[in-house]
Amino acid sequence: MKKALTAAFNWTILAGSTAIVCLFLGIILFDIFSKGLPSVSWDFITKFPTDGMTQGGILPAVIGTLWLTLITTLFSVPFGVACAVYLNEYAPPNALTGIIRASIRNLAGIPSIIYGLFGLALFVQGMGLGTSVLAAGLTLGLLSLPYIITTTEEALKQIPNSMREAALALGATQFETIRDVVITRALPGILTGVILTLSRAAGETAPILFTGVAFYINRPTSSLNQEFMALPYHLYMLSTQHQSIMEVRPLAYGTAVVLIGLVFILNLIAFYIRYRHRVR
Amino acid sequence: MNKYLLGLLAVMVFSCTQNDDTIKVKGSDTEVNLAVQLAETFQEVTPDVFVSISGGGSGLGIASLLNGTTDLANSSRPINGEEMKLFHQEGIAIDSFIFAQDAVAIVVAKSLPLDSISTKQLAGILSGKYKNWSAVSTKNQPINIYGRQSNSGTHDYVKHQLDIQFSPRAKEMNGNAQILEAIKSDDSGVGYVGAGYVVHGGSKGIKTLPVYVESGAAAVSPLDGQMIAAGKYFFQRPLYQYFKTDSYQKLKPFLDFEKSAQGQRLIESAGYYPVKK
Amino acid sequence: MTTNLRRRERTDWLLNRIFKATGLLTIAVLGGIFFMLLYNSVAFFLDIDPVDFFTGSQWKPGGESAGYSILPLLASTGLVALGSMAIAVPLGILTAAFLSELAPSHLQAILKPVIEMLAAIPSVAIGFLGIVLVGPGIATLFGLQNGLNALNGSILLAVMALPTIVTISEDAINAVPDSYREASLALGADRWATLFRVTLPAALPGLIAAVMLGLGRALGETMTVLMATGNASAMPRGFLDSIRTITATIAIEMGEVPYRTTHYFALFAIAAVLFIITLVINILGETLANRLRKFHA
Repeated sequence: MKKALTAAFNWTILAGSTAIVCLFLGIILFDIFSKGLPSVSWDFITKFPTDGMTQGGILPAVIGTLWLTLITTLFSVPFGVACAVYLNEYAPPNALTGIIRASIRNLAGIPSIIYGLFGLALFVQGMGLGTSVLAAGLTLGLLSLPYIITTTEEALKQIPNSMREAALALGATQFETIRDVVITRALPGILTGVILTLSRAAGETAPILFTGVAFYINRPTSSLNQEFMALPYHLYMLSTQHQSIMEVRPLAYGTAVVLIGLVFILNLIAFYIRYRHRVR
Repeated sequence: MNKYLLGLLAVMVFSCTQNDDTIKVKGSDTEVNLAVQLAETFQEVTPDVFVSISGGGSGLGIASLLNGTTDLANSSRPINGEEMKLFHQEGIAIDSFIFAQDAVAIVVAKSLPLDSISTKQLAGILSGKYKNWSAVSTKNQPINIYGRQSNSGTHDYVKHQLDIQFSPRAKEMNGNAQILEAIKSDDSGVGYVGAGYVVHGGSKGIKTLPVYVESGAAAVSPLDGQMIAAGKYFFQRPLYQYFKTDSYQKLKPFLDFEKSAQGQRLIESAGYYPVKK
Repeated sequence: MTTNLRRRERTDWLLNRIFKATGLLTIAVLGGIFFMLLYNSVAFFLDIDPVDFFTGSQWKPGGESAGYSILPLLASTGLVALGSMAIAVPLGILTAAFLSELAPSHLQAILKPVIEMLAAIPSVAIGFLGIVLVGPGIATLFGLQNGLNALNGSILLAVMALPTIVTISEDAINAVPDSYREASLALGADRWATLFRVTLPAALPGLIAAVMLGLGRALGETMTVLMATGNASAMPRGFLDSIRTITATIAIEMGEVPYRTTHYFALFAIAAVLFIITLVINILGETLANRLRKFHA
C-alpha cells in the first residue's frame, strides 16, 4: 500500500513538473496570441505608425529587423562556415586548435549586453560607423558567430570520411573536396543552424540598444548609416516608455505576435529542413 | 561566389549616400513624443529627410551630442557647467534653440482632499521632510513620491526650482508615463510630469495641483495657457534643443518647420506652450 | 594539364590560409572583448578605489555625491539568479527525469519540440509578459503597488533557464549506462529507488553542469530583468523589493554617459565583473559536461 502511494507520489512530481513546464509555454503563447492577434492585420504589418505611435502599423520595425538579419547573415555566415570548415577539415589537433575551440565556447557564453558594449566600442566609436544599422548588424553578427560555427561543425562531422577519401583519391584538392563533396552534403545541416541562429538574432534587443536602434523613424531605413527601428525594441518601448502605455497596449501585444510569429516560422523552416534531410 | 560579391558591392554602394539628409534626434523624454509628432508631419512637408528619434532623458541627449551619435539633442534643462567643459575639451561649438515652453505639473490622485499647494509645502513633501499627507491636508496617509531618475531634465529642474534634495525614498520611474500610471493606482501618491503628458495620457483619476508661492497669492494651474504666456506659473521652463554649430545647415529644414505655424499648432495641441515672443 | 593542377593547388594553399585566418579571428574577437573590458576597468580603478567599488553601499553615479559601488548591483543580480534557480532546478531536473525515464517515445516527440519552442521565445517577449501578466498577478497576490520586483524577475528567468537545464539534464540522465539500472533492479530495488538513488546520483556531474549553464544564462539576461524588476538601485531587502541587476544598469546608463568619463569606465568595470562571473560559471559547467561525455563514451 505504502509502495503504491510512494509510486503515485513520484509519478505526480515527475509528470507534474513536466506539465508545469508545458503550462508555461501554453500560458505564454495563449496570452500573447489571444490578446495580440486582434491587432495584427495586413495593415498592421505594412503601415507606418501614426498619431505619435498610438495608431497605425509597425512597418519600419519589420523592415529594420529584416535589414538587421540580412547584415548579420552576410557577415557571420561566411566567417562562421569558414571557421567551422577550418576546425573540422584542416585543423591539426594541437594547442592552437584547442585555444580556438575554447575561444568559441567562451564567446557563446558571453552575455549579449557585453556584445553591445563591444559593438559600441568597435563599430560605433572605433570604426566611426556611428549609430547605424550597419554597426548594429555587425554586432549581431559577432553574437551569432559562435553558434554558426558550432552548428556548422556538427553538420560537417556527419559527413563520413570515406567520401572525402574517395574524392581525394580521384585527384581533387582538399579545397575542392570540401567545396564539392562535403559542404554540398552538409548544406541542410548548415542551413538549419544558420536559420536557428538568425531567429535568435532577430529577437535580440541588448546588442542593438546603443548601436543604432531608434524609437521612431519617419521613413524606411534606406542606407547603412541610418538608424532603424526593430521589432524587439519596439515591443520594449511600447510596453515601458511610451506616453500612453495603456492606450498602446494592444499594439504592444500585436508587435509581440509578429515577433514571436517570425521566430516560430523560422524555427519551423529549420525543423522542416532537418526532418527532410535527417540521416537515415 | 560571384553573386555574393556582387551583393556585397551593392550593399556598400547603397550605403554611400551622404549624411546631409539624415537627422538624428535624441534626448528628453518630456520632448520625445512631441518630436515624434513633429517628425510625422514634417515627413509630409519635406519627404526627403530621414529623421530618427529616441528618448532616454536630457542627459542622454547631451551626452550623445558630445559623442557624435546625434545631431539634435532635446533637453528639458539647460546644459550645465560640467557638460560645457566637456564640449570645450573636445573643441565642439554648440548652439541652442528653444522650441517650446513646458509646464511641469504636480499630479496627485483626484481623491486627495487638497486643492492647491504652496512651493514651501511642495519642497517639504518632495525632500521627505513631511512624510504624511496630514501635514498639508485632512488626509492621514504616508506620502509616496514618484519621481524621475538623475538623467532626467525634469528631475533636475524641479530639484533646482525648489532648492532641495529629493527624498531617498522617492521612487525613480523610467519616464513621465510611468509616473502617471503609478499615481493612477496609488491614491497617496504625488509626482511631477510635463503638462503635455497629463493632457495626452488621460487624466482619469488624477488631477494637477495649482501652485502658489506666498500664502494669499492666487494659485496658478499648469494647464492655464494665459498665465503661462504671462510667465506666472512657478514651474514653467523652456524646452531646449542643442546642436553643433556645424550642423545648422542640415538641421535648418526641421528647425524651420518647428518654428512654422504648422509646427507651433502641433506643439500647442500636444499640451505645450509657444515660446514667449 | 600541369598548369591547371598548379593553379588548383595554389588556390587550395591560399584558401587553407584563409580558413585558418578565420579561426584566428575568433580568438581575436574574444581577445578584443577581454581587452576592451580590461582597458576601461583599469581606467576606472585609476579614479575610484577598488575597495569602495566592492564594499560601498550605493550605486549613484555622476554629480555631487557620486558613489560607484557594485555591491547593491551584485546583491540584486545574485538575488534574482538564486530565486530563478530555486524554481528552475527542481522543475527542470524532474522534467528531464520524466522525459528520459518515464515518457514513451511518442510523448517525447511532442515534449521535446515544446521545450525547444520555449527556448526560442525572445527575452523581450518574456519581459513583456512580466509587465502585463506576472506583475499584476504578484501585485494582487501580495497586495502591492505594482509587481515589478525580484520575485517577478526570478519567475521569468526560471522560464528562460528551464530549456537549458532540461536538455542538458536529460542528456546526463540518458548517459548513465543501463547496466547501473539493471544492477539496481537486479538487487531488488523498484524503479523509483533506482531513479532517485542510483540514476540521478550517477548523473550528478551532468546535472550540476546543467544547473551551471542555466545559471549562466540567467545571469547574462538583460531585457527580462530590465522590464520586470523595477530598477531601483538601492540594496535589496527581499524578494518583493525592486532590484537593479548589473545587466540592467549597463543597459539603462550606457546611452547617457559621455565617452571616457568616470561613469563610462564604471559601466565597463561592472561589465568586466559580470564577464568574469559568467566565464567562471560557464567553464565550470563545460568541464562537468565534458566529464559526462567521457563517461558516456
